[in-house]
Amino acid sequence: MLYRENMEQKELREWEARCIQEEPPLCRAGCPLAVDARAFSQAMAKDNLSAALAILEKGMPLAAVTARMCEAPCEEYCVRGNLGGAIAIGGLERTCIRLAPIKRKRLLLPPKSKKVAVFGSGPSSLTVAFDLARKGYPITLFHLPPAPGSWLRDVQESDLPQQVLEEEIKYLESLGVRFCSIAAIGKAACDGSGCDAVYIGRDDEVAEDLAELLAGPDEQTFALARSGWFTGGLCSQDHVYRFITDISQGRQAAVSIDRFLQGASLTASRVLPRKGRSNLFTETSHISVRLPIVPADAAGFSREEAVEEAGRCIDCQCLECVRHCVYLAEYGSYPKAYARRVYNNSAIVKGVHQANTFINSCSLCRQCEVFCPNDFSMADLCLTARELMVLEKRMPPSAHWFALEEMNSAGNEGALIRHAPVAKASSRLFFPGCQLAGIRPEQVLRLYDSLCGQVPETGIWLDCCAAPAHWAGEAELFARKMKRFSTLWGEMGSPPVITACSSCLKMFRENLPEMPVRSVWEVLAEDSSLQPTLESSAPLALTDPCTSRHDEVTRNSVRTLLTALGQRLASLPMSGEVTECCGFGGLMENADPALARKVVQARVDQSEADFLTYCAMCRDQLAKTGKPVVHLLDLLFPDIAHPASEQPASLSLRRVNRRQLKSSVLKRYSPQEQPDMLPWEDLSLAVAPEVAAVLDKRRILEDDIRQVLYRARQRDAYLVHGKTGNRIASARLGEVTFWVEYREKQDVFRILRCWSHRMTITGEQ
Amino acid sequence: MSLSFLPKDMNWLCRPCGVPLEPGIVELRYLGNVFKVELLVCPKCSAVLISEDLALGRMLEVEQLLEDK
Repeated sequence: MLYRENMEQKELREWEARCIQEEPPLCRAGCPLAVDARAFSQAMAKDNLSAALAILEKGMPLAAVTARMCEAPCEEYCVRGNLGGAIAIGGLERTCIRLAPIKRKRLLLPPKSKKVAVFGSGPSSLTVAFDLARKGYPITLFHLPPAPGSWLRDVQESDLPQQVLEEEIKYLESLGVRFCSIAAIGKAACDGSGCDAVYIGRDDEVAEDLAELLAGPDEQTFALARSGWFTGGLCSQDHVYRFITDISQGRQAAVSIDRFLQGASLTASRVLPRKGRSNLFTETSHISVRLPIVPADAAGFSREEAVEEAGRCIDCQCLECVRHCVYLAEYGSYPKAYARRVYNNSAIVKGVHQANTFINSCSLCRQCEVFCPNDFSMADLCLTARELMVLEKRMPPSAHWFALEEMNSAGNEGALIRHAPVAKASSRLFFPGCQLAGIRPEQVLRLYDSLCGQVPETGIWLDCCAAPAHWAGEAELFARKMKRFSTLWGEMGSPPVITACSSCLKMFRENLPEMPVRSVWEVLAEDSSLQPTLESSAPLALTDPCTSRHDEVTRNSVRTLLTALGQRLASLPMSGEVTECCGFGGLMENADPALARKVVQARVDQSEADFLTYCAMCRDQLAKTGKPVVHLLDLLFPDIAHPASEQPASLSLRRVNRRQLKSSVLKRYSPQEQPDMLPWEDLSLAVAPEVAAVLDKRRILEDDIRQVLYRARQRDAYLVHGKTGNRIASARLGEVTFWVEYREKQDVFRILRCWSHRMTITGEQ
Repeated sequence: MSLSFLPKDMNWLCRPCGVPLEPGIVELRYLGNVFKVELLVCPKCSAVLISEDLALGRMLEVEQLLEDK
């Protein structure tokens, strides 16, 4: 594949830094060796001893000794600590190493030319020998008689069997470490080693004459004043974490020696022990207390006990956003990894853009921003990527096609802006939004009438707020639309605007700051004449549209209205600021209809109660699941309420409704004033419900069918089946070729099947 | 795209030409790519039939592939 620099590396790093999911869990951050204790506990909980052992071996030098001797400072940091008691990670390590003996593979490394002398054979010295021998350095380890091991030789057999220590020393020999017994570790021996680097472990007996040379090692690198000399193992005998701290110092010294011998900086980009510092956030409010497992045998956990004890591990993760978002969970990862995926996708010049659907499926609902301790925004990440795709002309043409068609239709044949009949000016303008106009034209009119009842000079403005263009990443188109809105609004005298849709409200507020705009629910909530008529009705689960997330005033106004009406509410956990999208937002439904269905199903599953919403799109999206969903207008205008169980309006009906609404409004000015009928508009269709359902799924409108049939009739051009007499007609309408199979009888077209494609046929008209 | 996409049911006549459609080579285009395929075509006016199966099957697949969708 070919890549290019698009989303700058720096930009990617900034995105990545915001997501803390890859920060280490506190146990790991608290381990001087950064052993992945979380993964270890998880493996133990699954009774997967070999995986658990592999984690210990990866993080520990001489794991057979270290796992037995480690004092487990990690337990101090364990999040389970306040929820029953820390996981006995040290005990689990010992159980693991006892039950799963290490099988070491022989490493054959090309030997390096630089030599290292290690003095002393305490834990730190053995660590230096282990780490550097595995890098191929020839090591000579000078120890006091009778045998290497220093104070480890004095540990009681039950804690560290001497045989285990012997085997680890044999392993070091197999790596090429040469063991030399010397009478004393003193200046003369160290001076005369003839090696390129020297390590002197203080966790062994060291002669007095070295005292001056060993003074004041660097706290991070363990380098001594003399070049090429290093030390470690500095803990006093009564240090509570003596063993593991000395091991850690040996490891840090080994890193320094390797860097020194390669002529590299000892400090540049060095990863230092975190000493328990981590930015990982773990929500624990849902975690109940579980007490530690006490081993029946004082010698340690049985295998079953170990599984149970490890099972108490919380598996600390952030995943705050992923836990609540079907979309983020669907792709199996988390925002930091997603940022890389989006970055790679934008960098590909030639090759498959695997993340296009991923980028186009985010509902841009911004719930993740609320849950993220660092405000990571998938919406901003995806929207930026979409805008780039559009700019570079690599947005899949079909990705948002239908939504943009809908926007255009609502902005053309469905659009209207007028002062109230007989009024010469507007003191405010009502903008119901194209979705409400599409599903509830009669309720829109009633709502408009009640607004006019309050203030007679209320003008009306029918259009789409251009949210689809914004969501599709069509920044230029969106800016053009906003400019046009600004002009139209100015021509109306720049009055305050009232919307019945939270998305319109958000689009106007964020993009036309000069336009004063508020929600119709806020306006209605100021009306004190409402009567509590709904006190006896069943409680409803009120779902806030995602575009009202940060609009507390509107959300509260809706609740004020409902209280005034006496409507009781059932609880819905994800509400208000943490509300969820219905699957339409961000054009998710266009990019991935199957995912949108999952999202909406997960939403309705959150309450047994019927749902209530004040967003037209939410009403019909949620109703797709079969869940009864009430729109707030059904409660406000019970005489023209739609049944809660009503299926969503078809795409075709939405178009008809918008035209009808416009026509009804125009009739109020003068009965003659009507929009021009399109020549195909009165073609009579008969569409069976099962055919209509398929049409909707395929996003084929009755308007499209009428145009195809009208053309076929005009040109007298179609195909006829030799036996059944069925006809097939087709026409290219915009970006798509539509095909209709039908029968015609007495000027009624019975529609049998319809399909479409985007490819063009050479010579097609 | 493989070459031949003739529907099972070939019994279609062209109106107004009044002749049965016959297998013929047709050029399809999408996003700058050209495919020559065998479809049912009117031998007189070159009207083409793209069946539902083809449009929603192989054709859609290729469209999405070319779109990187």
